Amino acid sequence: MTDNAHNGGTESHETGDHDDGGHLPPKSSVKRWLVTTNHKDIGILYMITALFFLIFGGILAFMIRMQLWQSGPFILTDLGYNQIVTAHGLLMVFWFLSPFAFGLANYLVPLQIGADDLAFPRLNAMSYWLYLFSGVLLGISFFQGSSLPTGWTLYAPLNLPAFIPPVAELGSLSAIIALALFVASVTIGSVNFLTTMYRMRAEGLRMRDIPLFSISILLTVWMMLFAFAALLAALMLLSFDHVFAGEVGTGYFGSEEGGSLLWTHLFWFFGHPEVYIVFFPALGVMAEVVQTFSGRRLVGRKWFIIAMALVAIQSFIVWMHHMFLTSINLPIKTVMMVTTIGISLPFDLMVFALIYTMIKGRVRWKTPFLFVLGAILLFILGGITGVFLGAIVLDYSFRGTYWVVAHFHYVMASGAVALVGGIYYWYPKITGKMYNEFLGKVHFVAAFIGFNMLYFPMFIVWDTPRRWFHYSGTVAPKIPFTDITLFTTGFTIWHQVATVGAFLFGGSFLIMFYNLFVSLYSDRVVDESPWAYTGSAEWAVSSPPPEGNFPGTPSFATGKLSFLDGTELTDGGEAKTDGGVADAVAHEQHADHTSWWPLVLSLTALLTGLGISGLETAYFVWPFLFSIPLFVAAIGVVGARRDGFTPIHGAFMGASMPILGAFALVFHLHHGVPGGLAEANEYFWLTLAGVGTGMVTLVTMGYESFEVPTPRRSEQWPFEGVTNTKLGMWVFLGSDIILFGAFIGSYIFMRINAGWTNWHHIAETNGLVSHPILPGLINTYLLLASSFTVVLALAYAKRGSRRGTLGALAVTFAGATLFLLNKGIEWVDLYIHQGWQFDSGPAASTFYLTTGLHAAHVVVGMLIMLFLIARAYTGAYWSDGEQAHTIEYFGLYWHFVDIVWLFLFPLFYVLF
Amino acid sequence: MTSIRTYTIIFVALMILSTTQAAIEEIGLFGDQVLLALVVILGLSVVKAVTVAGWYMHLREEPRAITYLALAGVIGVVALTAGAGYSIL
Repeated sequence: MTDNAHNGGTESHETGDHDDGGHLPPKSSVKRWLVTTNHKDIGILYMITALFFLIFGGILAFMIRMQLWQSGPFILTDLGYNQIVTAHGLLMVFWFLSPFAFGLANYLVPLQIGADDLAFPRLNAMSYWLYLFSGVLLGISFFQGSSLPTGWTLYAPLNLPAFIPPVAELGSLSAIIALALFVASVTIGSVNFLTTMYRMRAEGLRMRDIPLFSISILLTVWMMLFAFAALLAALMLLSFDHVFAGEVGTGYFGSEEGGSLLWTHLFWFFGHPEVYIVFFPALGVMAEVVQTFSGRRLVGRKWFIIAMALVAIQSFIVWMHHMFLTSINLPIKTVMMVTTIGISLPFDLMVFALIYTMIKGRVRWKTPFLFVLGAILLFILGGITGVFLGAIVLDYSFRGTYWVVAHFHYVMASGAVALVGGIYYWYPKITGKMYNEFLGKVHFVAAFIGFNMLYFPMFIVWDTPRRWFHYSGTVAPKIPFTDITLFTTGFTIWHQVATVGAFLFGGSFLIMFYNLFVSLYSDRVVDESPWAYTGSAEWAVSSPPPEGNFPGTPSFATGKLSFLDGTELTDGGEAKTDGGVADAVAHEQHADHTSWWPLVLSLTALLTGLGISGLETAYFVWPFLFSIPLFVAAIGVVGARRDGFTPIHGAFMGASMPILGAFALVFHLHHGVPGGLAEANEYFWLTLAGVGTGMVTLVTMGYESFEVPTPRRSEQWPFEGVTNTKLGMWVFLGSDIILFGAFIGSYIFMRINAGWTNWHHIAETNGLVSHPILPGLINTYLLLASSFTVVLALAYAKRGSRRGTLGALAVTFAGATLFLLNKGIEWVDLYIHQGWQFDSGPAASTFYLTTGLHAAHVVVGMLIMLFLIARAYTGAYWSDGEQAHTIEYFGLYWHFVDIVWLFLFPLFYVLF
Repeated sequence: MTSIRTYTIIFVALMILSTTQAAIEEIGLFGDQVLLALVVILGLSVVKAVTVAGWYMHLREEPRAITYLALAGVIGVVALTAGAGYSIL
C-alpha cells in the first residue's frame, strides 16, 4: 500500500502534512526507539541489534569449539551440534555481518550523499523491525524442540522433513521462515537505499564522486536486490515442500528430477554474491579508513570503483564453483573455474590500491587503521586460499574439509575485523565522544592474535571433515596432496589451539564493549572531526549530527561541499568555514515520520511466521482467507475516520460480513463449525492473529504519508524525471523478476532433467487425466483485459473523471475476480476430480506452486485495488491530476503480474 | 501519455497474439518440431511482454536507466536458468 493520503502519494516538493505519529520523543525515552524512523536512530538500532546477534552467534561458536576440544563425544549431543553449527552460520552471515554494515550505512549514507534521510523512512523502520523479529523467530525455533540441523547451506535433501528428525520439524520450518522474513527486510532496504542514492544526492554530487563507503553500499544493495530474491524463491519452494510435499520423490527438493541439485543452484546463485554482499561494506570501510589515516586520496580511486563494479557483476556467474562435486558437467565446471579465477583479479587491484595508498601517504597508526590493516592481511590469506578452491581438481580434495572452513572464516571474519575498524572510526561521529586509544590498540592485538590462533590451525588440520561433531584425533596432519607429515602430533592439539584462540578472539571484544561504554561517559568530547584528514560530508557536521543532518542545504555545485550558513569541506581535505552560499535555497525542515506501524506490522509478521511453522496442512489457507473480510472492514472503518464517512465506507463495512459468512460456510463444509475450529491447533490461532492484525495494520499504514520530500536541488542521474515512489516500485519489480524467474527457471530445470517432451507423460503417470489449454487462454484474456482497464483508470484519473476512474478500477477488480474464479474451477477439477495433487510429482508441484505464486500476486493486487477504489470514491487520484500517479504505481505492479502470466500461459498450458 | 485509442489497439493486438499462441499448438502447426514451436510461442510471449512494458508501463517514456534496471533482472533470470539447465545437459 503506497498511498499518501496527505500529499496524494506523489513526489512532493513541500514538507507535506506529516501529522501521523506525532513528534519524535527525546533519546532518553524508550518510545522514541520504538516509533523512530530517523535514519541515524535506525542505524544505531541496527548496530546494537547486530552486536547482540554477534554475541548470540559467538556463544554458539564457543560451544562448537568446546565440543572439538577432544575428538570424541563431549558437551553436545549430535543433534545439538548440528543445530548449533547451523544457527552459528546463519546468525553470523545473515543477522550479524550484513546488518551491522547496514547499521553503519543507515547512519552514514544519507550524511555522505547530502540527504536528510532515506527516501522511505517508514519502510526503513520496517526493514529494521523485520530484521529484529526474524532473528527472534530463529531464536524461538530452538524452543520448538530443535532448530534447523542442516548447516547454513541447507543442502537438499537433508533440508526436507523426510530427513529431519521429527523433533526438529517445527523448529526447522521456523528457521526457514525466519530467513524469508529476513529477506523481506533486506529487499525493502535495498529498494530504499537504491532510491535514495540515485534520487537524493546533494546538488553537484555525481555518482562517481560519492564517498567510497557509500559506493560500496550502492553495489552491495544492487547485489542484494537480485541475489536475495533467488534465496527467497528457494525458501518458498522449501517451505512448500515442508508443508505440502516433504516425502522423497515429491515436491521440489525431494524430486528425482534433479531436486537436490536444484537447491544447490538456487542457493549458490544467491550464496556467492552473498559473500561479496557481506564483504563489500568492509571494503568501503577499508577504503575510507586507509584514506583518512594515510592522509591522501585513494590511489587509483576510479579503477577501485570499476573493480568493485566488475566483481558485483561477475559474482552472478561463478556460483557453480560451489558445486564441483555435484553431477554438473565438466564444460560448465570449466567455465565456472575460469570466471572464478577471473573474479580474483579485480580484488588484486583493490588490495594493491589500498596498499599503494598507504605507501604513498603518511600512515597514522590509530586503532581504526590497525584493524583495517589487519583485515587486509587476513583477507589476502583468505583470498589466496580461496583460489585453491576455485580450481576443479584441487577442490575435489578440499571440498567438505576444514580448508574451506578456514578459508571462508579468513574472508568473512576479516570483513568483520574491518567493520570493527569502522566502529572505532565512526564512534566519535555517532556519539560525540572519543574512545580510549590505548584500549583500542590492546583490543586489536588480542583480536589479531586470537583470530590467527583460531583459524590458522584449521589449515594445518585441513583434512578434518567439515561439520562433523567427532573427528579422528590421532591422525597426523599432512601437506595437501602429499604423504609428507607436517607434525607428528594428532589433530586434537591443533583443535585445542583453535579453541584457545577462539576464547582470546571472542574475549577481546569485551575490551571493545568496555571501551565504547566507558567512553560514552568520558569528557573526551569531539567536534566535527577528530581526524586530521577526512574527505566525506559526515565530518563537516557536528558530532553527533543534528536531527536534520545539515545546517543548511548541502551542495557540491562549486566542487566543494557548502551550506547556506555553514562549513565547506574540500575534496579530501579539512573541514573549514565557508561563510555562506548566496544562491542556496532554504533548508527544508526534517520531516517527522514517527510511527508505531512499522513495529506493529513486523510483529504481526513474526506471529504469522511462527504460526505457519506449526499450521496443519488442512487448515493452511484459512487464516489468510478469514483475514480478507477483516481487511475489507478495515478499509471501511479506517477510511471513514480519515476521509469522513461516505456510502463506500458503509459498503465495505457491510460487504465484509457476507464475505466472512461465505468463507465460514466453506470452512464448515470442510471441517465443521464449531468442531473444526475447536480441533485447530494453537498455531492456527497464532497465524490468524498475525495475518488479521497485519491486514488492519496495512490499511492503517496505507493512510499514512510514505516518503520524504525530494530536495529541490538534488542530483538524480540517471533517474531524472521519475518520482521516488515510481523508481522504488521499479526497483522492487526488478527483484520480483528474479523471484518469478527462479520459480520458472526451477520448472525449466526439472523439465530439462526429465526430458522436455517427457513432461506430460510424467504428469499422466502421476494422475493427470486432462489439462486443456482453454482455462489458461481465458485467464490470459482476462488479465490482458484488466491490464487494459487499469491503464484506462490512469488515463481517466489524469482527465479528472471520477466516473471513468472508479469504473475502470471496478472493471479491473471484476476481471481479477473472474481470473481467480476460473482458476479455482480449474484447480478443483485437477486437484479433486483428477486427483492430481500438490505432491503428485514434479509436474504437479511446479504447476501448482508457480501459478499459485502468481495467483497470490493477483490477490494482493485485488486488495490494493479495494483500497484504491475506496480512496478514489472520496476524491483521491482524479480530483488532482498529480495524485493520479498512485494509480500508475499500482498499474506497474499489475502489468508486471500480467507479464508474468504471459510466460506462464505458454509454459504451463500451451507447451505443457 | 499514450492515447486511449493506442491503448485499445494494443489490447486487441495482445488478444490476437495470445489466441495465435494457443492456435499454433492446437492445430499442430509445427508438428514434431518441439524446439521450433518453443521458440515461436515463447517468442510471441516476449513480443507481448515488451509491448505491455513499453506502452502500458510507459517504459518508452521513462529514462532509459529504468529499462536497464528491468533488463538486469531479466539477464539474471536468463543466467540462472541457462546456466542451471546447461549444467545437466
